[in-house]
Amino acid sequence: MSDALEIRDLHVRFHTRRGLYRALNGVNLRLARGEVLGIAGESGCGKTTMGLGVMSLLPRNASYPQGQVVFDNKDLVNLPREYSERVGDRFSPKQNERILRRVSKAMAPIRGRRISMVFQEPMTSLNPVLPIGFQVGESIYVHDPAQLARRVLARSKATPELTRELVSLLAATHGDETSVRKFAAEHDLAGIEEQALFVWSRGDIHISRKEKAIRALSGQPMNFVERWIIDTVVRARSIPWYLSRIPILSRIVRRVLMREGNRKARELLTSLGIHHAERVVRMFPHELSGGMRQRVVIAIALANNPEIVIMDEPTSAVDVTVQAQILELVKRIRTSVSASFIVISHDLAVLAEVCDRIAIMYAGRIVEVAPTDEILHKPLHPYTQMLISAIPTLEGKPVEGIQGDVPDMRAVPSGCAFHPRCPFAFEKCREVIPTDLPHGSDQLVACWLYEGK
Amino acid sequence: MMIAAYGLSKFFPIRGAFRSTASLKAVDDVGLKIQNEQVVGLVGESGSGKSTVGRCLIRLLNPTDGEVLFDIPDSELAEYEKARAAAATERLDAIADRFSLLRRSSSELRPLRRLANIVFQDPYSSLNPRMRLADIISEPMLSTQFCSRAEAGIRARELLHEVGLPEFFEDRYPHELSGGQRQRVAIARAISTNPKLLILDEPTSALDVSVQAQILNLLRGLQQKYGISMLLITHNIAVVAYLAEYVYVMYAGKIMEWGDKRKVLRDPQHPYTKALMSSVPVIGETMTRTVLRGDPPNLVVPPLACRFHPRCPVAFEVCGWSADEVVEDLEYLLAGKYYGTFGDGVHVATEGDRTIVVQGTTDAQRISELVAREQEEIRSLKGIKAVDVTADATLIHLHEPIEPDMYPSTDGREVKCLLFRTGALVPAATS
Repeated sequence: MSDALEIRDLHVRFHTRRGLYRALNGVNLRLARGEVLGIAGESGCGKTTMGLGVMSLLPRNASYPQGQVVFDNKDLVNLPREYSERVGDRFSPKQNERILRRVSKAMAPIRGRRISMVFQEPMTSLNPVLPIGFQVGESIYVHDPAQLARRVLARSKATPELTRELVSLLAATHGDETSVRKFAAEHDLAGIEEQALFVWSRGDIHISRKEKAIRALSGQPMNFVERWIIDTVVRARSIPWYLSRIPILSRIVRRVLMREGNRKARELLTSLGIHHAERVVRMFPHELSGGMRQRVVIAIALANNPEIVIMDEPTSAVDVTVQAQILELVKRIRTSVSASFIVISHDLAVLAEVCDRIAIMYAGRIVEVAPTDEILHKPLHPYTQMLISAIPTLEGKPVEGIQGDVPDMRAVPSGCAFHPRCPFAFEKCREVIPTDLPHGSDQLVACWLYEGK
Repeated sequence: MMIAAYGLSKFFPIRGAFRSTASLKAVDDVGLKIQNEQVVGLVGESGSGKSTVGRCLIRLLNPTDGEVLFDIPDSELAEYEKARAAAATERLDAIADRFSLLRRSSSELRPLRRLANIVFQDPYSSLNPRMRLADIISEPMLSTQFCSRAEAGIRARELLHEVGLPEFFEDRYPHELSGGQRQRVAIARAISTNPKLLILDEPTSALDVSVQAQILNLLRGLQQKYGISMLLITHNIAVVAYLAEYVYVMYAGKIMEWGDKRKVLRDPQHPYTKALMSSVPVIGETMTRTVLRGDPPNLVVPPLACRFHPRCPVAFEVCGWSADEVVEDLEYLLAGKYYGTFGDGVHVATEGDRTIVVQGTTDAQRISELVAREQEEIRSLKGIKAVDVTADATLIHLHEPIEPDMYPSTDGREVKCLLFRTGALVPAATS
């Protein structure tokens, strides 16, 4: 199976007033389909920069002198890289901003729809003046309005007879997804299957109530204008220009679709374990607790069934008991959603719980990648070993810190960036940057200690 | 005894409606003791009031209620406790006048400030950016008249060395330092007046693990060298496991359990401590964890009786179920899960504090059955004492809640949970 994402030799530099900040220095990473990959490292080692770099969300003073991010056979960073190659040292943030505008346009069908991101700090990534339902709905309205239109259309087309058939089908197949999908396709009702399946999979209401709710999906009344708008959006698979540019019309389109967005937001939040979602969608971010906010942000990231979800420190801002809730949630969605995940965290214990593989980063490079068990029990790189021995445990075993500090990325040490802090460093480490050496079948380690082994 | 607090409370008034008397009960009736040369951990989620306790202990905040006795000989303390149990006000006052921190004026407090000091959480905001490190470190020595300015300068250099920083750092400014180095400076400042008690308010939560390990080792070294008593306030249980001997577990402004570290962490007794310990991710272990439902309570209107009961997986009849809590779950059952049985038209409402009215059905039998079936899952139903029928509605009566106290558990621990109270708790059901 091909990889969901491949990062090849990615370099990122920030041009600051106080010099060139080499944030990433050749990151190589592959993300397999359906995999959960963890990225760990101290603060300042480039974890978040890598996440943002994949999404092309870095600020205008960032340049990509080298490297590729390959997603679906396309290179996501070729525009800014070509610019950096062309200008070399005469990099100007102002010109780069123009490039970034083009990148944003090219990324529009990918960002949020096929690759989405959960940002650090849910309080700052949600808009404090908009209700939750609007924010979740908007992410669908912006990225995939046809999905909303399909749902409305399916409800207006569904007759009471058809929904009754649907209920009996669900009861007969115990909510089998493919047969419901087939049913929807046969009767030209695409869009109704997810609504029916959502109601069916709810654990908190009685079956007769579910049946009633599914039967209520039929015969949504629509006036002439609404019908025309919905039809047009479904046919065009997006909002055509004349619906989004003409002033009054665009407002009606927005109102019709956002109403559906709110409905979908309710479904999403319920499926992520929020009770009384119909009340929560009307609330504002400050009214929610940290754990709820985090769920909302995850709902936004999952809204468009993305192929890759990047989670940047999903549990750093919350308490252990809430962290446990979020971890259980992530474990649950990774089985129910067909996406690959990249989880960025400074806490190895968190990653150990949800990840298939873990990559350790240091000074803008991946120093070790291996399956979770291997990396925790047989860490190879000295940095990984020291990082693990620095974590205090409940048994109170002695901990050892790593001497020294993370290097200043404006003057990265020559050779292996870890050599000034490494107890095993020898001559070669100071001079030559280590390459990724394979170890065993699936472990990679960038350390000269393992050369020729 | 280094410090002992009794019935410590801190209520923060809430601005809002006209002449509002609402207050946020951040710390409510907390008792805490630290022996000489002992390290005590105080763990809890954010918002549980642990920092407030730390600040109240050394009067950076003035507690609303309670008593804090500082540096009191054990014999006097025993007498104080005896007087407290007997409610002998005069004897209490006599002892408290000598040792209480709360009865000192601010000028009397100043020399005492030498003996107790605090290290704050965020080393980026707790150091004055316009002062050199030498000035930062000597400031407490000068303000408490610990020594002269010249001596303070010499001592500042010694202290830098003590916490593992080179002496030439004395002329640097905080912005030139990394997070770990700043925290070292904050520790140097805190120990500059040879304190007997150090309050460490989340000393490592702003740091990376590799640096955290260095700081923990530094603190342990200082503690062993100078025999300082420490109160370690943190949300990171592993940090407490590493440094402390005794642990207090706090939740929603109350102490839930305290005792010897090894026993509390390895074999927690209180349901909250159990859930907390099972939430901590441990490398290389897959465990079955108790995931708590919901969120920590609103402390302006805290839950009745035990503050943990709405989230407690083993809460029972008298833990403090209020009518509102039961109504919410009954509504979900009658109009949701058992919709097929009861249909439309069932309406649940409270009537007074301890009674609930279910309009639209008189089928008390069915309701009692489903309550009996669901109460293991939905704990609030345990609060139902009896189901009655009137002409057109069903009346549901609730148990009277019992306020939990600290009950002694095995091996010298104390647990604030009614499960550990001896004697019959649940009055026989009358229906």
